[in-house]
Amino acid sequence: MSHHLFILSPADSPIYSLTHHSTRAAASTVSPLASNLPTWSTSAFAGTLTALSGASSVAQHTPSGPVKMGGGQDRHVIQMIANASLDAIEDVMRKENAMYLRAVDKFNEWTVSAFVTPGNVKFVLLHEAKNDEGIRAFFMEVWEMYVKAQLNPFHGLISSSAFDGRIRASAKKYL
Amino acid sequence: MPNPLSAGHLHLNFPTHPPPPSQYALSLLRPSQFPLAVIGIASFCQTSTLKSIYSQFNAALLDIFPASNQFPLARTCFVFEENDIATNLSASNDLPGVVIIPSMMGNKRLYIGTLLADLCSQILGEFGVVMQALESPFGNEYLNGSLLAALPPLSELPLSLDSDRRGSVPNFSSPDVLKSDSASTSIPPMKRNSSSGPNYRLGVQPPKKRLSTIGVASSHARLYKMLGDFFLLAGRTEDSTIWYTEALQLFKNSQDHAWHAAVLEGLATISVVEAWSAGHGLHNSTTSSKEPWSDAIEKLTQATTLYHKSPLYYEGESIYAPLAYLYSCCVLRHSSLLFAVWSAKGWGPLAFTTMLQPGPKAHLPPTLAHDEADQWLNLERLTKYSGISRSSISNVLGQIHGPWLLHLHPRERLSILTTMASVYACLGYKRKEAYLLREVLGCVMDLIVCGREEDGITKVSGPRNTGLGIENGNITPINPLTYLDQGSVAVRMSESSLGNDSVLRILKQVCKTIGIDLDAVKLVHASTQETELAESSQNEASTNDDGSELERPETYGWPELQVGVVREAVAVAEALPDFPAVAQFALSSLKTLQTVLSPGDQHHLYSTSMRAITTARRRGDSKFFEYWSGRPVVSVALAPVPLVRLPVEKHLSVLSKQKSDLTPIIQGITDPFLYNPRRVTAKKDQEIVAQNEVLEFVVVLQNPFIFDLELQCLSLSTSGVKFQSEPVRVVLPASSFHQVVIPGKVMATGILTIRGCFVQAPGGITQEFILPLNTAEEEERITRRKSALICEAERYKYWGLESLPWEKPKRSIKYHSSQLNPRTNLRFLECKVVPEQPLLRIRRTSVNHGALMLYEGERSTLRITLENISLLPIDFVHLAFDDSTIEPAQQALAEGAMSSSDVYETEHSLINQPVFTWNKSEGRLIPPGHTLSLSISCFGKSGCTNGNVHVSYSYTHRTDLEKPSDYFYTRQLSHPIMVTVYPMLQCQNMDLIPFPSYMDYIQTPSTTTYHNNLGVDDGASWCLFSVEVRNVYGSPFEVTFEREQYGTSHSSTTTTIPPGSTSRVVLPLRRTALSQEDTSKAIPTLSDRQFVVAKDKLSTAELHLQRELFWYREALFKSIQGYWKEVGGTRTGEMSLRQQRMTLPMLEAFKSNVARVDLSLISCDLPKENTIDGRRVWKANEFLKLKVRITNLSSFAIPLSLTLDLEPSDCLIYEGVIADIPIGRLDEGMTREIEFPICFLTNGHFELVAQVRAVGFDIKPAKAEIIAAVRS
Repeated sequence: MSHHLFILSPADSPIYSLTHHSTRAAASTVSPLASNLPTWSTSAFAGTLTALSGASSVAQHTPSGPVKMGGGQDRHVIQMIANASLDAIEDVMRKENAMYLRAVDKFNEWTVSAFVTPGNVKFVLLHEAKNDEGIRAFFMEVWEMYVKAQLNPFHGLISSSAFDGRIRASAKKYL
Repeated sequence: MPNPLSAGHLHLNFPTHPPPPSQYALSLLRPSQFPLAVIGIASFCQTSTLKSIYSQFNAALLDIFPASNQFPLARTCFVFEENDIATNLSASNDLPGVVIIPSMMGNKRLYIGTLLADLCSQILGEFGVVMQALESPFGNEYLNGSLLAALPPLSELPLSLDSDRRGSVPNFSSPDVLKSDSASTSIPPMKRNSSSGPNYRLGVQPPKKRLSTIGVASSHARLYKMLGDFFLLAGRTEDSTIWYTEALQLFKNSQDHAWHAAVLEGLATISVVEAWSAGHGLHNSTTSSKEPWSDAIEKLTQATTLYHKSPLYYEGESIYAPLAYLYSCCVLRHSSLLFAVWSAKGWGPLAFTTMLQPGPKAHLPPTLAHDEADQWLNLERLTKYSGISRSSISNVLGQIHGPWLLHLHPRERLSILTTMASVYACLGYKRKEAYLLREVLGCVMDLIVCGREEDGITKVSGPRNTGLGIENGNITPINPLTYLDQGSVAVRMSESSLGNDSVLRILKQVCKTIGIDLDAVKLVHASTQETELAESSQNEASTNDDGSELERPETYGWPELQVGVVREAVAVAEALPDFPAVAQFALSSLKTLQTVLSPGDQHHLYSTSMRAITTARRRGDSKFFEYWSGRPVVSVALAPVPLVRLPVEKHLSVLSKQKSDLTPIIQGITDPFLYNPRRVTAKKDQEIVAQNEVLEFVVVLQNPFIFDLELQCLSLSTSGVKFQSEPVRVVLPASSFHQVVIPGKVMATGILTIRGCFVQAPGGITQEFILPLNTAEEEERITRRKSALICEAERYKYWGLESLPWEKPKRSIKYHSSQLNPRTNLRFLECKVVPEQPLLRIRRTSVNHGALMLYEGERSTLRITLENISLLPIDFVHLAFDDSTIEPAQQALAEGAMSSSDVYETEHSLINQPVFTWNKSEGRLIPPGHTLSLSISCFGKSGCTNGNVHVSYSYTHRTDLEKPSDYFYTRQLSHPIMVTVYPMLQCQNMDLIPFPSYMDYIQTPSTTTYHNNLGVDDGASWCLFSVEVRNVYGSPFEVTFEREQYGTSHSSTTTTIPPGSTSRVVLPLRRTALSQEDTSKAIPTLSDRQFVVAKDKLSTAELHLQRELFWYREALFKSIQGYWKEVGGTRTGEMSLRQQRMTLPMLEAFKSNVARVDLSLISCDLPKENTIDGRRVWKANEFLKLKVRITNLSSFAIPLSLTLDLEPSDCLIYEGVIADIPIGRLDEGMTREIEFPICFLTNGHFELVAQVRAVGFDIKPAKAEIIAAVRS
């Protein structure tokens, strides 16, 4: 089960991103509709479609052997989903005062939770399983680390390996 | 037939396309998906027969709907008669379903209405037929035979059904379906057992009993569902509710999820229809706690879940596509219900209108059809009214999206995706819309590419990339051009570009949402290019003036996503193919995403765009691109004109002015002020260049990209006088600055202004980039602007999509400051073009290899020959010189740390001992092609290593100009000369010593040897000058020192000094006295420098002494000159004593006393003189007179006093006082004598000393002494 965290600036640019593979098993509830997808890709655009629709475990047979494609783990697709979920996040955050927006959006198999700091920086987390309290605690820790990192006038967030390490530790702890 | 004019509602849906064959499997599960009837429309003219029309209609029908399908249930063909054609009406009787509408007929509308009603009743009749078929045991088996039941082929049905088919038609209900009849509301909900109520008129018996007998194996649930469906289609909602409820009961225990869900969907539909029919859904249930639509929503949610878990295998067949489709449709139904209610501001007539009649544009309800509909406030208002939040709609809609979309057939997928996208768009969820639009594009492109491949023209070989083709950095190879590369010829079958524009529009929409402006580089049509250009140059100042397009400090959007989307966009445009769009997209993304694109991407996009431009050009495309690579021109500067050709502007008045050459040499600059604040501003921006000469402009270009950038055409943009230059073609190396030299020629005199550069990229239009001068205020303006922008950039006033740059201009709030306004007065690089100038060159010099060798102090001459190589005469030649000693001296002077006497020394050496001098009278007119020789005298100055001869020349008094100018222009030639000065004679230990005074008492001056040898008459008024001269060179020199003193004869001494040895030169020198005024003068400065307060604080006495020393030293140097001469050679020169110091004892020796004192003893009585050894001897106890003769040597009258010192004093007697005897004031040159009686008492030597001092002056007293020998 994997988690994807993005820290986005108010202009929607990612400041930091993290992919965390949790050891906990995902409660996979695969719909019968989604299983056994056909070997179906005759052009590159079909590949785009496959990836974007989140089809999982589709083996594409090429002369060099079967190639696993899509699988919902395509980084670009994850980013697209995170970006698209900003619509829902913005909608909710304008109406509610809460910083932690629980399961604010769902897309394909992903649930999107978000955390909006007072400076309008958004933490977007894509996760599969329900883990409200864990995610809330994770967000609070990320926020604290983010604020501390921001206090340093000499260091950008992206370049700080300490920040990265702590986020990873926190993700391990809560997710 | 019912009354055709009866009131009611008939909802007919006219689909534009027949259902795809893939949906035929759903014909029983979802009969509403299929067209129930087909209406053909034909025009009937003379040439055609009715029969042919009929067969044509049938053939067309067969083409669209295969015979195996039971739909459409009814068919008819309206044949419209053309004018005045006599028709055989009887023919219509033979052909079933053909209705002829005569042209004469009035009120066709009513007639056609009637015909449609007839058609509807036909459909209802067919429902019965189908039901009959299903009702039979055989039919029921078919119905339950598979997951998606199919209708048995008619041939397999019992014939009896077919036979009574006609008869059953009249039994059907009236065609005014969905009529709001009061009866339906009055009937109380029936119990399940009485479901075979009075409305069941199909002729079938109450189902439970009868069907249980026939279909033993299968339940009747599906049959009941079918009944419910048909009743619903027929508008009899009560009946359908009954049958649906019946079916629901049966399904509850079965695993037939799909059918179960279909029943729930039907029930949900019924609830909506009933709400509509009940007083058009006007709000009458405000009291109820539940929303009126919650019932339907609940059922739909249930149905969604059922579809979702519906098993895919049913007795060996797999049916992904239909199930996925049903699921999607169900979710779509759910969300569109919510959407309709939301967009209609609640449950009401508007909501039904939205559901039934989507309006002019599909999926755009009237509340959202205005311009500002997508603003958050407007959207939230809808939520407020309807009580449905946008996120809830989005959540429902989001359920559709999943991998199962891949199961769908392309057309269904496309329609579902577009519907989703448009709903998201209406909700204001732009990013989600973009996500779906990408999928829509993928879908469309997939179809396009596949369709093309099916033509069999393009055979794609090799493995395809899978996925988005983004992660691995490869671009999808869907590109016809690559096929060309493989050697095969691509033939495009379909030239149609219909729809390409729409695809590109969608692309742009997606990119805009992601934060990329694909229109950043505009396409300009060739015909409008000229006018555009003119306009752009006018707008230039306002838009493009910020020399530095301030680097965007912030990024917006998601760079990784942007790169991926852009690559996809380019691939899509290539696959269409639309070459101008390919190039536009590629260039736009290069322009806007330059900072985030990886090198590989940059290369790819650039090469793609170049290829596309070439292809488009080849295919006759006449569009051009704006210049795209940011701001390529960094600076333009005039390459320094070679010094030889540089004209220097001079005012004519300098010619007439009598110049003193001293000042510039001393100071190096002409300014009398040490600090001149105006000097900086006085520098002009104008360069002076000559007409008709080649100028070179250095243009610095930058290429921020990773690839070599080609500029097709680069030329200067100039105004003012005519400038002739050729545009150049440049290839800028990757990510670097590049210098290009553009040569050109100015054709006229005047001011040439260089505004900037014209740049043209391949396939682009020429764009001007102006380059204003970086003046101080300009710099400040840019700095201010930058800081203002940076300050603003860090503040996120707008976030999300509103922070995108093209959203910003829409906002009214802006940072206003006068500093940010575009500047109004631009200043540019300017060149002053002056008339053609003559040109001179140095033809030859007498110096070999440019090196001059001199002995120190030597004077020699060199000749320099100039040649006029132009066609203009030269009437002004001036020489100026420069050598290596000047600058250090000037620097030392400028520092001002030297004492005033050192300053004098330095200045003296600068002014009086220049290395080079020339005779001004030698300069004269040089006609074209002629030469002029000039001689320059050189002086061997120690420490000089090199020098320069500068020749300034000009054609001053021009005759070839129309109007005389106040200025003339000079050019300069410089000739460097290496100078080597050999030091060979060193003067040291200069000294001045007084004559030994003990000689003084020798009273026979005429016979003394030094009088003879040295020409010294009297020891007291002379001193000796001596200096050691050392020969440090390798050859002997003859050294002569000369004395030239007023009042004395000329005297000189000459010695030959061999190499390595030192010789002392001695020369007697007459002591001199300088007047008080002379010595008290300040040490002069030779230049008229600004007065600087002396740094060393000296007391008055010290100052006086310093000045005295200085002036006496000067007097010494004036009277002593040294020369040297090469032994056996011709070279001669001077020796300088200026290195020597003058000390106080030397001063005392050189300076003559205040008065001259002469002592003499005179015997009173004895005339006879007593001498021993030639010396006068006196007797003891004899009265003598001591005569003191005093002469005032100073230049003014002074009072003097005399003090005598007689030793040993106790052995002699004298009269009167001997100390401070007043002598009185003596005029200049006057003499007075005083006599003292004196008597020596013993034999021996007596020392008689007289001291004369000036009373009231602090001057050293004059002394004289004699020794008297007394012997008896």
